[in-house]
Amino acid sequence: MAPSTELPPFRAGLFQLDPFALLGTRCTACGEAGFPARSFCAGCRADGDAIVPATFAERGEVVSFTVVRQAPAGVEVPYVLARVLVDEGPRVMAQIVGAASTEVEIGDRVRVVPAVFPSADGSDRAGFAFQIEQEENA
Amino acid sequence: MTLASAHVAGVGMVRFGKHPVSVTLEDLGEQAARSALAEAGAASAQVDAVFVGHVFGGPVAGQRIAVRLGLDGKPVSNHENYCASGATAIREAWTALAAGLHDVVLVIGVEKMTDRISGGVRPDPNDLDAAVGYVMAAGHAMSARRYMADHGATREQIAMVAVKNHAHSVHNPFAQYQRAISLDEVLQARQIAEPLGLLDCSPISDGAAAMVLCSPRGAQRLGLAAGAPRVLGCALVSGSVERAGESINAERVSRNAAEQAWRLTGVDPADIDVVEMHDCFTIAEIVRLEGLGLVPVGEGARWTAEGHTSLGGRLPVNPSGGLLSRGHPVGATGVAQAVELTWQLRGSAGGRQVENARVGLAYCKGGTVSGTDGGSVTTLVMAR
Repeated sequence: MAPSTELPPFRAGLFQLDPFALLGTRCTACGEAGFPARSFCAGCRADGDAIVPATFAERGEVVSFTVVRQAPAGVEVPYVLARVLVDEGPRVMAQIVGAASTEVEIGDRVRVVPAVFPSADGSDRAGFAFQIEQEENA
Repeated sequence: MTLASAHVAGVGMVRFGKHPVSVTLEDLGEQAARSALAEAGAASAQVDAVFVGHVFGGPVAGQRIAVRLGLDGKPVSNHENYCASGATAIREAWTALAAGLHDVVLVIGVEKMTDRISGGVRPDPNDLDAAVGYVMAAGHAMSARRYMADHGATREQIAMVAVKNHAHSVHNPFAQYQRAISLDEVLQARQIAEPLGLLDCSPISDGAAAMVLCSPRGAQRLGLAAGAPRVLGCALVSGSVERAGESINAERVSRNAAEQAWRLTGVDPADIDVVEMHDCFTIAEIVRLEGLGLVPVGEGARWTAEGHTSLGGRLPVNPSGGLLSRGHPVGATGVAQAVELTWQLRGSAGGRQVENARVGLAYCKGGTVSGTDGGSVTTLVMAR
């Protein structure tokens, strides 16, 4: 297990560890996914008992991405940031780790993995990122 | 629902750019305000209230400026909606005038950034966006990449937004940059967030803009001549939670802001002669114009490259130079847009005048909230 999972989470309820997966909510009325967990549905605006906890698929697809080459002081560059549509789940923004920027394309298949997030007080917290699924994109 | 419009009695501005450390936020705000008050012929005793937009000015910055103007003791409010702060201050001033609470008000947008911000502004550190390394440029870079993939637009077409806006501000003495740039300069500039480079990004700036707004009773008080430009209304919406399946360029927040503006003011989108658009990044001008319904979805990049949004084109956008070239002291931007529309509607914009401009729209977007399509968006409609 990656060391980042031993850190306190950036926020409770964002992910589970084994197997590593993002957590959120699902609307039982229309099926819309919510991440992070929300008390209401962004689609049909249902709330209350219509909203149930959900564990999302480990895989998804790159909707768009960028290579960040300038960031505020204290942030190491470059890094690849992407918006990913999780299979039958939410659209999530996170970094793509372990890939050179030239290896990423819109539509690439990715898997969610543990990662380190910085927190407001400067300490490291457990978070998440995506990794390219090499065999699926070959 | 249509509220009474507010008359523009006077406007003032400090040139946007990098001012020395010795020039304070209070100095900038005071100078812009004095210009606006002088043009309006308004003595401090004739001003009922002060509305100030800023982000980085610290607590009660508005009161610190007001006291220098002899406006101590008056109602002063500070408005923070990130890059839409100045426009939000105008909206609050307009509603207070329409409600009959005040008759003459001073609106100031002000920011001193160059001595306190470097490398770009970022989201609140507690927001999930900050944790994943989101910076404003990155969001717009992802928007640009997807826009190109979806609509067959080119990198060059997107870069033309910067070329156009820099060409416009050659004629704007209040702009940070008053030099034309070539397409090649934009394409060759240092990369910030691929595919966007330095010249696709608005600069970090200092500056201030101010206006004196009044009700019909206030216009009488100031002896304002008939025919002054008016604020017809200013809509304000917040971003809403994005649907998993909708395009990242859906611009629902812009569509909502547009619909609210047309409803509030009774103006039809076809009536708009000139737009001051929040082009914090080149691609943002394109997708926001499309979101407003002023340009067909997927055609904004081509429109730009073909000159339709240039001075003399069918819908001139950012005659001032926009954020990219006038500069972007965040809290001042919304007021600067309204000042530019005032000059355009008076026909006094000189070499950047949009011919026969009668109705103008200004759009601001401020901040990000994780999982939504934005923080705040304002759509201000003015007419002569």
